[in-house]
Formats: sequence, C-alpha cells, structure tokens
Amino acid sequence: MVDRLERLTDLVLVLLRDNRPKSLREIASEVPGYPAQEGEARRQAFERDKRTLRDGGIEVSAVPIDGPEQVGYVIRPDNYYLPDLDLTPDEQSALNLAVAGVHLGDPSGRDALWRLGLAASAGARPVAELPALPALAVLHGALRAGATVSFDYRAERRRVDPALLRFHGGWWYLVGHDLDRVAPRTFRVDRMEGDVTAGAPGSAKLPDGFDPDAALPDVPWRIGEGGEVTVELHVDATLASLVLDEVGYAALAHRHDDGSVVVRLEVTNVAALRSWLFELGDHAVVIGPDEVRAEMVRWLEAVAAPPARR
Amino acid sequence: MAQRADAGSRLLRLLAVLTWLARQRRASVSELSERFGLEPDELIADLELAACCGLPPYTPDQLMEIIVDDREVIADLGAELARPRRLTAAEGFALAASARAIAAVPGADPDGALRRAVAKLEAALGGRGSLRIDLQEPAQLAAIRDATESGRQIELRYYSASSDRESTRIVDPVSVRAIEGRWYLDGYCHNAQGMRRFRIDRVLSSRLTGEPSSHRDEVDADPDSQPSDAFVPGPEAKVAQVVVDGNATWIIDALPTSSREAMPDGRTRVGIPVASTVWFGRLLLRLGPHAEVLSPPELAEAGRQAARQVLARYRETAEDRTTSSAT
Repeated sequence: MVDRLERLTDLVLVLLRDNRPKSLREIASEVPGYPAQEGEARRQAFERDKRTLRDGGIEVSAVPIDGPEQVGYVIRPDNYYLPDLDLTPDEQSALNLAVAGVHLGDPSGRDALWRLGLAASAGARPVAELPALPALAVLHGALRAGATVSFDYRAERRRVDPALLRFHGGWWYLVGHDLDRVAPRTFRVDRMEGDVTAGAPGSAKLPDGFDPDAALPDVPWRIGEGGEVTVELHVDATLASLVLDEVGYAALAHRHDDGSVVVRLEVTNVAALRSWLFELGDHAVVIGPDEVRAEMVRWLEAVAAPPARR
Repeated sequence: MAQRADAGSRLLRLLAVLTWLARQRRASVSELSERFGLEPDELIADLELAACCGLPPYTPDQLMEIIVDDREVIADLGAELARPRRLTAAEGFALAASARAIAAVPGADPDGALRRAVAKLEAALGGRGSLRIDLQEPAQLAAIRDATESGRQIELRYYSASSDRESTRIVDPVSVRAIEGRWYLDGYCHNAQGMRRFRIDRVLSSRLTGEPSSHRDEVDADPDSQPSDAFVPGPEAKVAQVVVDGNATWIIDALPTSSREAMPDGRTRVGIPVASTVWFGRLLLRLGPHAEVLSPPELAEAGRQAARQVLARYRETAEDRTTSSAT
C-alpha cells in the first residue's frame, strides 16, 4: 500500500515536470498508488487528490488533449512557482521578524516564510495580535486580483468592488464601491454573513478618483452623512490628556486652570458621539450647541427614570 | 508528539522542507525540525518517504536523492524543487498583514527594510496599497516601550475605567503588545504584587524610577490572561441579562457576550458578563432607552445611578454657563 503522502508527492512531480498535459490513464501508470483498474474508484481517488492540492494552493489545470480520454492534467509552472521577489538579506530578515512579531491566529504567515525559503524565527514574542477571520484571505485575494466580491450583510446580498482592507480601532473593514447602491461603502468584515465569494480577476472597476479614506473616517462621529455640527465638550482634569490623545490636540479649544479642557469636534453622527462620550462617564459633558446638549440630557433622563410598571 | 497532520498539510510541509533542502543541500535534523516545527521522528519519516518519490520508472537515478541519518540530511534535488511555490491566499494575506502591522508600530522599521520588502511583495503579488493597518499611538507608548526594552522600572499614573479611579503604580515592565489594535503593557505591579496588564492609552503619565526592572525575564503572564481593566469577565463576573432592540445591537456586537437569543418581539436577549459595575453603568448609558436589564436587580440600578451622576454634571455646567454669561 502506497502512503497517500507519497502518491501526492509523486503526482506533483509528474504533473509539474515537462509542462505537458497528461491523461488520467497516463498519470495512473506513472504515479504509484492509484487503483490498478480504470474506472470510478480511480477517478474518485484522483479527484480527491486534486482537491487536496487545490486546498493547498496547487492548481491542477484540466485541458483538452487528443486521444480517447480527451482531458489532460498539468500543473502550470506559472501557477505553481512564486515570482522572484529579489529580497535583499535585510529585507528578508525584516519580513521574518514581522511574521514572528504578529499573531494572526493561524500558521499561514510561517507557511509563507517557508515558501519564500526564509527561516521562521522561533520563540519570538508577538508584538501585535490581530483578529483572524476566514473572509480576510478571500477579500485580500480579491483586492490583489481586482475582483468584485459578494457577500451577505445585514441580511442583504452585496456586490462590492473592493478598494481597501483596513484594520482600524480593533476591527477589520472592507472599503469599496457598492455596485447596487452606486456609492462608496464600508463593511465590518466580522459582520459579513456566510461565505465571501470573489468574481473573475479584473472584474472590479473602481470609479475614477475613488478615495477609500473618505469612505472610512478615523473617528466614529464622522461616520455617516448627517449634517455637520460643531460640538463642544468639557472634559475634566482626570481624562483631559487621554481624550486629547484620542481626538488630537487640534481639537483643543481651551484649557482651564484646573486642568480641565474644552474640546471642539466636527460631528456628522451624533449617535456615535453619544456612545463614545458616555464611555467617559461623568468626566465629560456637552456644553454646546444647546440642541445637542438638550438631546444628551433627555437621553440621560430617560435612563435615570425609575422603571415603568410592566 | 504533535498531532498527526492530514496528507494535504503534510505534503505542503514536505514540499517546503524539500525547497529548503534543494537550496541548502545539507542540514542537520535538529535545525530542520526546529525551522519547520516538526518532531525529528516525523521529519525523518517524511523525508525517508520522499526519498522513494520521483519520476517513473522510479529507478534510483529517477528518485529524489535524499540521504537521511539520525543527525543529518543530505540532498541533491534539482532546480524544480529549489524554486519556491506560490503563496496561497491565506499565506499572501498573512505575510502582507504581518508586514503592514509591524510597519505600523512606531519605530519598528528604522531603516525602511520592511517597507521595501512590502513594496516588492506587493509588486510581485499584486494588491499594492490595498491593505492598511492602523494601530493606536498612545502618548505614553514610546516611553513605556523604551523602559521595557532597556529593562527599567517605571512609575505609572493610571486611570482605571472599571473602578473610575486614578492610581500610581510601580511596575517592572515585561512586554508591550498591540492586541486587536490597542496597546497593552504586561508587567509586575509592585502595588498589586503580581503580574498585571495595563492599557497604555489609560496611562496618564510615566517616569523612570531609576531602578532596574527586577522581573525582566519573567515569563508572560498567562497568554490567555485578559486585560485586568477591560470589560473582560473574570471568575467573579456576574452575568447581566439584557434585552436590546435593533438600534442598539451595533454596541452589543462589540462586546463579549455569554449568550444571545432572538426574542419573539424582534429584540435580542444577551448575557453580558460584568466585572465592574461602573463599566456596566456606562454601557447602559450608551444603550439608553434601547436596552432593558432583566436581571440581576442590583445591576439594573447601575444604569440609573450612572445617569444621575452624569446629569448632576450637566446641572453644574449649566450653572457655570449662567454664571459666566452674567459676568
């Protein structure tokens, strides 16, 4: 009995060598381990091996050939080999350290280093941990290939020409041009439902001048297309420096003697501002404009009210 | 021995080992097993099997030339195997994401080698500029990283959101890491007399004490240990049962929840582990009228109490505004 690993290894070598499509009969005669008899069992064993190779990123192409079987199989060198990256030694070691320094929840980065013939640095302590989601590799692959992607999001099918995959504030986002809404849209990758599928390479066409930065603002209260309002906050001394660190010192309007500050924010999404603001508890309040302040007070009064009898 | 991998992943691993060997021609078993994360017996078994692979008619001259003994592997494999294979989508992503993430760490790529490597990768693989990773850059990050790397003790002024208190702590820093976009310091806290994790964006100020860190080589705090200060459930956490409507699910989505079920009226019932009443009160403020706490009763009160506290601040600032407009 031939070990399956041995059969797979021989299969790769046979299909790769001399770049000529071979019929299944020819393959079975060259690769030990397939059922001796022609028929369904042999076909199934071969299909299973093909799937295993494809799952590992080795594409077996089926092409028409002369002869009774009509279909031949080959692994095209272009599909198999990595283009030469021409990395200098310092670039190689920088990549090495990067892979060792980032924890992505699976060993793909280490596998990639093997592929490049680089040593994985063992035992390094990760510097950064990023959430790993299966959709990320598909989306990144689609970006590399310029392919339209589709997925379910909030129970609707979306078709999107992808522009940018961005990790921001602890979440992965896809920024792109929504083909049905004909507008830039941003999607949380962890909220995509089910499988993400990618269309043909080159199928995506971003509108001229598409700006992925405009589609995903840096701060939550700029997400959304509401009217812009300038909101002034008073932040007490305890949290003044942390808040300024987060919103940027350009927002500082006034610094009081007691260490508290007034911060001015341009807001297009008051709900997002409210959510961010209440995380600061009683360390920050809205001081203007009056309508935003009154809205915050109404919201708080609703929460403070004793429970209604149910 | 590690769990036995399936044939597909063994094949990929074997091809990687062969690519490496095709270039090196000679390597020790211990070096190979360390580099590829394999037990020596697994490695030797797979290589002995590979020595039987090759091309028909599988006569010795058509087999891969691999000589394996207990210590060393000698191979002559030809040019086909020496060229690296293409990356899978997952590998391409992992490589690009790792490189981008480290490039986003302030000061991590001083001579630009990583950026050049990324440019070459993207030129060869496609997807130039299609991936961006933003890590926070809290004000105290550089100082804390410096202290950690040079093994010096620091004094932190730290704001804890779970207790809503500021405290001063003496810490021997052990490691600094970005976890899901936020920077954390793991270190030995002399005040708590144990390993603690601190959110660096909550460090108000830091200074060197002048003492060396005495816990520099401490092994990590339990790698699964959670930020002492986030809303992560500890063993004593209570679970609050909360019903939220569709307007508030976006807030709930960002939280670790212990249970989640759809209600007949279209709302969602979630179990939220609560380690800090202060934190939970502020969460209820954010959820506002879109949430209702079913149990336990003492946590239901947390939202009302937090709201009253913040309202008191609004009244104070209203008086300030009247006073200042009168003068």
